[in-house]
Parts: sequence; C-alpha cells; structure tokens
Amino acid sequence: MSEEQQPIRPVSRRRLLQASALAIPTAGVLAACARGSGGGSGGGGASESASATSLQLASPTNPVKWPIAADNQPIASGLEPEQGATLQIYNYADYLNPEVVTAFEKKYEKYGVKVAVSTFNDYSEALAKIRTGTTPFDVYFPSYDAIGKLVTASLIRPLQHSYITNIGNVFPSFQNPWYDLEWQYTVPYVLYTTGMGWRADKIAEDVGARPNPYDIFWDPKYREKIAVLDDYREVIGMSLLRNGGTDVNTGDEAQLNAARDAMLLMNQTTKPKVTITGYTDIPEGRTDLSLVWSGDMIAAVQYLPEGTKADILRYWFPPSGKGLVNNDLIVALKGGNNPVLSHLFINFMLDTEIATKNMAFVGYQPPQVALTPEALVAAGLIPENLKPAVVLPSYFDVGYRQLELSPELEAKYQAIWQQFKAGG
Amino acid sequence: MRRSRLLWPVLGMPAIAWMAVFFLIPLYVVLCVAFGKVDPVFRSAIPVWNPLEWSFTQLAIVVDRLVGPDNFYLPPVLRTIAYVVIAVAACLLIAFPVAWFTARHAGSHKALVLTLLVAPFWISYMMRMLAWVNLLQNDGWVNKVISLNGLLPTEQAWLSGRPTTVILGLIYGYVPYMILPLFAALDRISPSLLEAARDLGAGGFDVFRRVILPMSIPGVAAGMLLVCLPMMGDYFTNDLLSGSPGTSMIGNLINNSITTPGQSGQAAALLLIVLVVLSVPMIWYTRSTARSEVRS
Amino acid sequence: MSGPITVTDEANSLSHVHSAPDNAPRKSYTLATITFIYLLWSLVPVAIAVLFSFNSGRSRSVWQGFSLRWYIWDPEGSVLHNESLRSAVVHTLVLGVITTAIVVPLGVLFALALDRWRGRVPSGASFAVLLSFVVPEIALAIGLLFMITWLATPFELGTTAQVIGLITFQLSYPVVIVRARLLTIGTHYEEAARDLGASPLGAVRRVLLPMLYPAIFVSAILVFADVLDNFVLVRYLSANAASETTSMKIYNTARAAPTPALNAIATLILLASFAVVILGYLAYRKWGRGQGEEGTGLGSMAAM
Repeated sequence: MSEEQQPIRPVSRRRLLQASALAIPTAGVLAACARGSGGGSGGGGASESASATSLQLASPTNPVKWPIAADNQPIASGLEPEQGATLQIYNYADYLNPEVVTAFEKKYEKYGVKVAVSTFNDYSEALAKIRTGTTPFDVYFPSYDAIGKLVTASLIRPLQHSYITNIGNVFPSFQNPWYDLEWQYTVPYVLYTTGMGWRADKIAEDVGARPNPYDIFWDPKYREKIAVLDDYREVIGMSLLRNGGTDVNTGDEAQLNAARDAMLLMNQTTKPKVTITGYTDIPEGRTDLSLVWSGDMIAAVQYLPEGTKADILRYWFPPSGKGLVNNDLIVALKGGNNPVLSHLFINFMLDTEIATKNMAFVGYQPPQVALTPEALVAAGLIPENLKPAVVLPSYFDVGYRQLELSPELEAKYQAIWQQFKAGG
Repeated sequence: MRRSRLLWPVLGMPAIAWMAVFFLIPLYVVLCVAFGKVDPVFRSAIPVWNPLEWSFTQLAIVVDRLVGPDNFYLPPVLRTIAYVVIAVAACLLIAFPVAWFTARHAGSHKALVLTLLVAPFWISYMMRMLAWVNLLQNDGWVNKVISLNGLLPTEQAWLSGRPTTVILGLIYGYVPYMILPLFAALDRISPSLLEAARDLGAGGFDVFRRVILPMSIPGVAAGMLLVCLPMMGDYFTNDLLSGSPGTSMIGNLINNSITTPGQSGQAAALLLIVLVVLSVPMIWYTRSTARSEVRS
Repeated sequence: MSGPITVTDEANSLSHVHSAPDNAPRKSYTLATITFIYLLWSLVPVAIAVLFSFNSGRSRSVWQGFSLRWYIWDPEGSVLHNESLRSAVVHTLVLGVITTAIVVPLGVLFALALDRWRGRVPSGASFAVLLSFVVPEIALAIGLLFMITWLATPFELGTTAQVIGLITFQLSYPVVIVRARLLTIGTHYEEAARDLGASPLGAVRRVLLPMLYPAIFVSAILVFADVLDNFVLVRYLSANAASETTSMKIYNTARAAPTPALNAIATLILLASFAVVILGYLAYRKWGRGQGEEGTGLGSMAAM
C-alpha cells in the first residue's frame, strides 16, 4: 500500500505549458460553437449587419422614424392570445403594481394567463441580459435613450396598432414622439423629473432657496446623510447642471472633466450612498436627502413609518422646469414567446383606470390626458406638499432630456461613472 | 487485473469530463473575453477564441488604471488590501482563543461548543448580513444599546458608508472559516507533549511560543487563506452594509463593470490579474492539502 | 462526542495545577469568557432576525407583538401568499436537492477513482478539484456566465445554469471527504473480497461503498446546506423571477423596502438547513457507531 501512495506530483512549469498548448486546438472548437455576438434567439446574421451600421440617434430636433426589418414585421391583427402562457415581464423592482398584474391575469383568465415579473437594478445590466437572448422576456420598460440600440439589434418588436386601442388616452405628443415617430415600437409608460427628495423634519433648510440647490450634495454638513441615484446618466447630468451646464448629453471634454471632478469631490466631502431606494430610505429615515425621481417621492408616502404624517415629505425640481425630464416606455421584446399577450398587456397598461391604479403603487405618473395635475391632487394620488413632483406637460418643452449617446460618448460617460463608483 | 485497471478511469471519467467542461472552459472563456474585442455599436464584449489573435487592449486599460496616471482602480485595490488585512488579523485574534478553548478547556461541553461554532455554517451568509442590516438601522438595536435606549443623543449612521461597518461585516461573515481549521490543528496537539514541555521547565508563555504556536502554523495558514480568498472577491457585504463608493472593494469594481457595456473585458482582465496574484497562495494551499492528504 | 478522552484530558491538566508554574484553570476562565462572548456575538444577531420574522408589524427593529402574519396571514406580503417569496424558498430548496443528488454520486465515484488510479490524468484532476475549492467563487461564476452567454451551449441561464455552476463548485466536498475516509479504510477489505471471488466492481459495491456511507452522508449534508447558502453563483447564473433564490431575494430587497417576510424566508431556509443537519447527525450516529470514526466528518470539514 505504501508503494502506491506516491505523493501527488506538484505541477511543474512544463506541465502547465503542455496544458496551455492543449488550449489552442480547444480554441478552434470553441470558436466553432460561439454564439452570434448579437442578441435575438440564436440569429447571428442580423447582428453582423447591426455592427456594421452606425447607430442612429434620435433627439427632439432630429425625430426618427425607425425602419422595420423584413424579418421583424408586426404580428397579424385579431390573433387569439397564447393559451396557458406565462407572460415574462422584465422591470425595475417596485415599478409595477402587483394588483395591476393580478388584474391582468384575471381579465384573461380564460386563456390561463400567468405573469412573472423579473427585476433588475440598472438599465446596463438589463440590456446586457436581454442581448444574451438566453431568457425569453416578453415585455420590457426601457428609457428612450436605448431605443436606437434596441431597434438596431432587432431586440424589440414593431407593434400591431390594432391591439392597442387605448393609445388615445395618452398625451397627443406621445402619440407621435420624436424618439419613435408614429409609435411604431413603443408606447409611453410614465413621466418623471429628477430632483431632490427629503424629510422636512430631518433637513431644516429650504433646499430650493439656495442659489444653487444642487450644491447641497457637496455640503459637508450632510456628510454620510445623503444619497444619489444609482444611474450614471442622472448623476453625471446633475453634476453638469450644477456646474452651470445646460446640455446633459454634452460631448465637451472640459465640461465632462469638470463634472467628473465634481463627482469625485462629492465622494470626498459628503460620501453619498449610491442607490435607487430613495423611495424607502427617505421616508424610513435612513437617508436625509437624496437625488430621486419624482415618482419616488410620491411612492415614499406609503413607506412612512406608522404615525408619521405625509406632510413632512418634500420634493424639489427647478420651478422653471429647467431640470432633467424624461419618460419611460413599454416595449414588446422580440425574444419573447408571447407576442399577442404582450400587445394585450401594453394596451391594458394604457387604460386610464389601470394606469391610475398603477400610479397609486409606483408613484410614477402616466401620461394620461385624464390625469391632469388638479385631478392627481384631487384624487389623493399626490399630497399637496409634493405638488412639485407633478410632471407638467410644459416641462417637456423647457426641461433637459437624456438622449441616446454615440457609443464613443457612452463609453466616456460609463468611464466617469466607474471612476465615481470606485470611490477614489 | 485488466478489468480492475479499467474500472478506476471509468469511475472517474464523468467527473473529469465535468471539470474539464465546466471548470476549465469557463476560465478559458474569461481569458478570451479579457483578451477579446469590443463591439463598436453595443460596446458588448466579443470574445476572441484563438490565443494567437488575442489583443491586450483591455489588459492595458486595466493596468493603466491601476498604475498609470489615471489610476482610479488603485484606491479600491488598496482599500481591499487594508480591509482584508485588518479583517484577517481580527479573525485570527478572535479565532485563536476560541479554538484553543474548544480544543483544550471545553471539557464535557466540547461537543456543545463545537456544535455552536459550526452553527454559522448552516446559516446563510445573506441571512447573517440581513441580521446586521436590521440591527444597524438608525433606529436599530445597536443604536438603542449605545444610546442607552434614547438617553444619550448619539445616533450613529452605521449603514452610511462606514469602513468600520464593512470590516466588521467581513469579520463576522468569515470568522467561522478561520475557527474550524485552527481547531483541527490545535486539537491534534497531544496533551502529553505540552506536559513534557512543562515538565522540562517551560513556562506558560514558552509553551505557547515554542510548542503550540509552531504546531498551529498549518491551521493558521489554512484558516487565513480560507477567509482571505473569498474576501478578495466579496462585493455583497459592502453592498449590503455600505452602498457608498467610499468603501468600494475589488469585488465591487468587478461586479459593477461586468454587465456595463464596454467594460466586460476590463472586468475580465481585472479578474485575471486578481487570479494571477492569488494563484500563489491558492496553488500553495492546493498542493499542501494534496500532500497532507496523501500523508495522513 | 469524544467525551471520555476529554475528561482524562481535563483531569490531567487539573493534576498538574500544583506542579505547573502557570495556573491553567484561571487561564481557561478568560478563554471561556472570550468563547462565550464570541458565541453570543455570532448567534444572537441571527436569533434576533428570526425573532423579527414573527413581528406583527412592518418594522424590523421595533417589536410589535408575536404573529405569524409574515408567514401565513398577510394577504399580500406573507410567504404563503406572495408568489415571489414563496418561489424563492421553493427554488432554493429545489436547487439544493438537485445539486446534491447529482454532485454526491459524481464526487464519490471521482474520489474512488482518484484514490486508486495512478497517473497524470487523475493527479491533474485532483489538483483541479482542490483548486475549484479555493478559486474565488466570483471567477467561476463570471466564467460560466460568459461561457453560457457567448458559446452556443445547450444550457440556458436559470435553473440549469445554476445547477451546473453549483455542481462544479460543490464537487470538492464529496471528493475530499470520501477520499479522507478511503485513506483510513485502506485496501485490505477490498482485497479480501477479491480473494473471495468478488469482481472489482462487486468489491467496490458490496464492501467499500457500505463503509463509505457515513462519509457520503456527511458530504451530502454539507453540499445541501452550502447550496442553500450560495449567492454569487446563483445570482450571476439566474435568468428571471423563477430562478431567484432566498439569498438573492435578501440581497435585492434588504436595502429597499423589506418587511419581516424577508426574515421569514431566511428563517425557513435556516430551518430547512438545520433539519437536514440534525437528521443527518442522527443517521450518522447510527451508522458511525461501531466504526469509531465519528470525528471524520467534522475533522475533514475542518481540514478543508
């Protein structure tokens, strides 16, 4: 027995070399079975052309009507919904009222519809996962700053308008938006501004009265007490505005560097948390003040501890409307297995009653014609003290919108964000 | 006899094939991504399978960010090293007396103590962190205890990006992994050896320094390695207990970049550097384990 | 466990109080205090988290009375009624069962082969297994994520990918534990069986395998409990809501707006883990008796 018990031989360098030599033929085999770099379910051909064409970028001054590829036509009208299917929804956490989901399942009960909601933390992560094409999500809620990529890579389906009869309920400007003329691929989901939220009993001062309210993120008085959104465009955009800029999509090297330096200084002076949970952190008292989306503060009312009144919540957005104003969309993903149900779900979400019910939970305001600011306050959806969180249609004329960036510029923005998050 | 010689390879093949496909190939794919290209439009990584075509652009970017003029990877790296060194030292300081007590002085309670020491292994790491997230809230029990239930006006924001909280979290999370190997090593020291040392006139400290300490070295080394390696890739402790860039570690750097368009390759390259640096202790541990297995 | 030995051990050190210059019992009081404080620190926070899963209010820091609200009664947020919480618990357990069922046989066969088969292939494989134990989990997770994303593998992110990753990561447990046991058994029994006319496979099946049952059992328990605990692999390899585990649920919501239901799912997984360990311990004692190898499981776990 002892003869058999040779010590296990140490790995010599020679053997490691042999092993790496083995790797080279393996590489050929691996290459042979490599997935197409483009998304979709296995279709490699389309992605090749996607890489070749440059990305078209939409903006209010450059409205775009996206092409519809021959192999990605809208579905036929009047189809029966898929039987016994599970509609796969991909979304932020707490960004869809579970009761609305249940109501949808109930409405199409006879088809045995189930809905599964999967969540992500940020758009970069979501887009990366959708592009791998390994999970057949049906419905997705992107921001319009990714629409060029989604169309170019054939990741989303053109909509068959005959299913979406509720489109008339939304603001007319969203029935022919500059980012998707003739709403071929998208319908609007909700509107939001980016501002500051806080609890009046924690922050004594009137934040809006500062000469430059954004300066509060650099005020050492609030060290360890504040937070910013975990979203690269929002924080870079806020820093650009704070520095006096007016273009939140700027490619100007000096402005971007100044914004980056400001962000690094912010890390030093106030050590903000980077999170998208301001809607619970502020009401529950974990954070005193945060960069938030308007809908977060409206949702925050529900998260106040028992016995705390809603009138202590505050939201600031430049009253002039010169701040970050954006909207999210609903799209049907091409990789999904349930195109008809996706259309039905999109139409369902545009129903005024359902949209209102959804807002009661998520806090974000749908662009429904019927939901005027007065109606929102009257219906108790927005308390009086959070009136600044109402998104006025006029904001879309004067506010700053985050547009899709060219790949090179996007890389610059991402690098700034990475540097900020590294906490240098 | 021939059948017998064939039997072992046949039994071992499934697992060997498994490890080749699901352990070696994934590590090779990391290489292919780290040395690969980036899609010009989507900025997603395009792995390059042929080593002869590998490009070192991503690696160069990472090296530049580590030691170049724009070295913003360096602070998290240094921070990680500092956190890990402090946490490992603290783990050792806690684990040594506990393991020694359990091995030598627990008496009839030995089984009970050992069971309680092992208990954290059966409780998920996330649950243990969740427990602290709850306790460290502004209105949590830790602040209540510190302020003597509101008598003193000290409200500490423990979860607002404090290095202390993160390091304590790491210690709490990983110290059980230190205690067990230490216990195993200390338990092996024969009591008669200590007696002999004492009989030969060694004082308490001498016994510790000249007998116990040298004999516990393998356990100390294994324990340090077992807590150090996972800490180097840890991002979730920091995410849960801090959430502020001020406490970002290498793991956060990798985890944040891995799904960011255009940065997967850099994340892979960074991971590769970490692996290369860690390969020294990893291979040492693997080899010494393999040897001691054969010896025992 | 090793009661008698420890008693004599203690007796020895007591009998030496007079002759030894240092005062052993006094020292052990300090050590006992340290150990006691450590155990409190290590277990009380978890006990409090468990306690709050029974809170009748929403708070996780203010006790508002005992209730099973977050397990059963709450129509929206309880584990019973909230689909995503329930599915996280179920999915975690499913992963535990599937992984254990595959990895244990795979690892046992591998351990047998490694123990008896000499050559470069097995020693290289043995090295790889030990390496897989110390490689930071994030490396394996990202490697598998990349592989499944970019190679046209028949596997998809989700349960399949998670099981694959977990098997790879857990394989070292049964291998190391079973090998340790094999080394103590030696080859005599098997040779005797062969001399009595058993085939090589027969000798393994009839003689060796029964002697390995305790070790196999211990590794199965370790694997199961460790899978319930896993976070890094299952998160990177998850696909959608259906492949979300309890750990992921905790990570995703601990910082958002968790209710005590989050503590409740963590508690359920903890109970599952403890139940398996206790069952395992009882069965192990039954098997282990007469084999004089009670320390093996803990010992080899400690050695890793």
